[in-house]
Amino acid sequence: MTAEPLLEAQNLAVRYPNGEMALHDVSFKIKSPSFMAIIGPNGSGKSTLIKAFLGLIRPFRGTIKVNGFDSVKNSGKIRKMIRYVPQRDRIELTVPMKVKDIVLMGRLLKKLPPRFASSKDIKISRDALEQVDMVDLWNRPFPELSGGQRQRVLVARALASDGSILVLDEPLSGTDVESQDLIVEALDKYHKENDVSIIMVTHDLNPIHTLVEEVLLLKNTVIGIGEPCSVMDPELMKKVYGPTARIVEYAGHRYCMTRDSGIDRHD
Amino acid sequence: MIEIIQLIMDSPFLQRALLAAVLIAVVAAASGTFLVFRGLSFMAAGVAHAALGGTALGIFLQDSGLVPWFNPILGALLFSVLVAAFTGYAGESGLTQKMEVAVGVSFALSMSIAVFLMYYIPPYRVPQIWGYLIGDILLLNNIDIIMLASTAVLLGFITLMFNKEFVYVSVDMEGSIAHGMNARAYHYLMLIVSALAIALATKAVGAILVYAIMVAPAAASNELVKSVRGVIFSVFLIALVSELVGLTTSFVVFVSPSAIAGILAALAYLLALQIKRVRDRVHVEPKAEKTESDEMIDTFKASLVIDQENNHSHDH
Repeated sequence: MTAEPLLEAQNLAVRYPNGEMALHDVSFKIKSPSFMAIIGPNGSGKSTLIKAFLGLIRPFRGTIKVNGFDSVKNSGKIRKMIRYVPQRDRIELTVPMKVKDIVLMGRLLKKLPPRFASSKDIKISRDALEQVDMVDLWNRPFPELSGGQRQRVLVARALASDGSILVLDEPLSGTDVESQDLIVEALDKYHKENDVSIIMVTHDLNPIHTLVEEVLLLKNTVIGIGEPCSVMDPELMKKVYGPTARIVEYAGHRYCMTRDSGIDRHD
Repeated sequence: MIEIIQLIMDSPFLQRALLAAVLIAVVAAASGTFLVFRGLSFMAAGVAHAALGGTALGIFLQDSGLVPWFNPILGALLFSVLVAAFTGYAGESGLTQKMEVAVGVSFALSMSIAVFLMYYIPPYRVPQIWGYLIGDILLLNNIDIIMLASTAVLLGFITLMFNKEFVYVSVDMEGSIAHGMNARAYHYLMLIVSALAIALATKAVGAILVYAIMVAPAAASNELVKSVRGVIFSVFLIALVSELVGLTTSFVVFVSPSAIAGILAALAYLLALQIKRVRDRVHVEPKAEKTESDEMIDTFKASLVIDQENNHSHDH
């Protein structure tokens, strides 16, 4: 049986809501299952690409398919497979949600109204929180957590949910080292133990360099695609991140250093 | 005590007023809560005033003989739903700021329509329009109560069924859609049903009181209570207590019950802010876990405090 590719874009172009072109002439194919990263600087169209294949934005031209399903015609089928972690600041903090409510959301969103949580849902949610070391805060109000803790809860929400594709939008930005490590480890373990694909948007590949199988380097179009070390090419990096980008080799892997590299970056 | 029950038994207008107080507390709990979660408290004001504009249009159409069968309440409902739909359309992307602007624009538009039409309406019917602004809970008739009750029941049922969806739309619209929920449908459902309930409540108690009762208890509860269910329950209590105290006061002193209720609801919010400040100062060290029932008790205590304060204030 030839498996459908995880993602397949053909001549894709997407506009921002303000009419500016976010992505143009994007064509690529990623095999399934995979742990892939979409990287590129701010404003390079990474999040837009995610929104396009989730069917949240209509492509301006071309198509993108997830496991063979078209993002426009079959968005319902795609969304059944998806578990999504949006950028952390997209979560509204005015609602008095507890940690458990957020994590259970991942399970209840896949059910029909009135979406009652069964004891199985609660067990799976607790296990997911255990993975990111947050289960002790089960009853804690979500808005009172630190940024890194909130991000961990959101990752747990995705781990607790159902669906063969995890999509994470900048899950590591503005988080502390401890949270970063916990998230990366949990995702790696989950990917290896289950038959799921992970698609992660990040502007810093280094924390997940050794885990990802494929990298898509974007700057409004595809600049590079392939294994992490092949994308970490000095010429490619300079093209995307400017002349200050350096490639550092460490323990047999190539890492990219830019001026804004660092863990406690907040953008 | 027996005298009070006797009084209530003997006066149907008082029974209707008490019933309306309970129904409006239900509307506040079911709708005001979610509007405040959504950051859309201003929509309650926008819809209430749109109802006023709609009534003016209804009276005009009826009185000018253009559409003689057109009941002004239809105009009120129509305008409210239009405001909700317009607001919903502006906020489809999930941006609250855009919805606030849409509410502001429709608020201005419907008030302008009301003022414009007032010149073409016979003067004896103009007070009917202003009735939507002030309202009087003691002057309700049976039809008012039936209409209010049926929307309150509908709203209550929809909230029981879909409260999780309404919360999810408010917390994470994008994530909800990506996980396969039809967030757009729930977004409109919540706004339109709220708008219908607000419009009918406006006819009963007036735009200003509706705004106070829809927003202030929810805002107060959201400061203090830390679970969705707790907030809904606490909104109901604060709204009901404010209205009942308002009604009672109007028998002792010559004063509009709505005015007292509105003032009390607003005071509840100020009190909540104050309690929160004190609490934040006290709890510098990590606080112990609280259970949901604890919060309900707290809320209840908080509403008792408000109640006591009020009783205290009418003693002199």
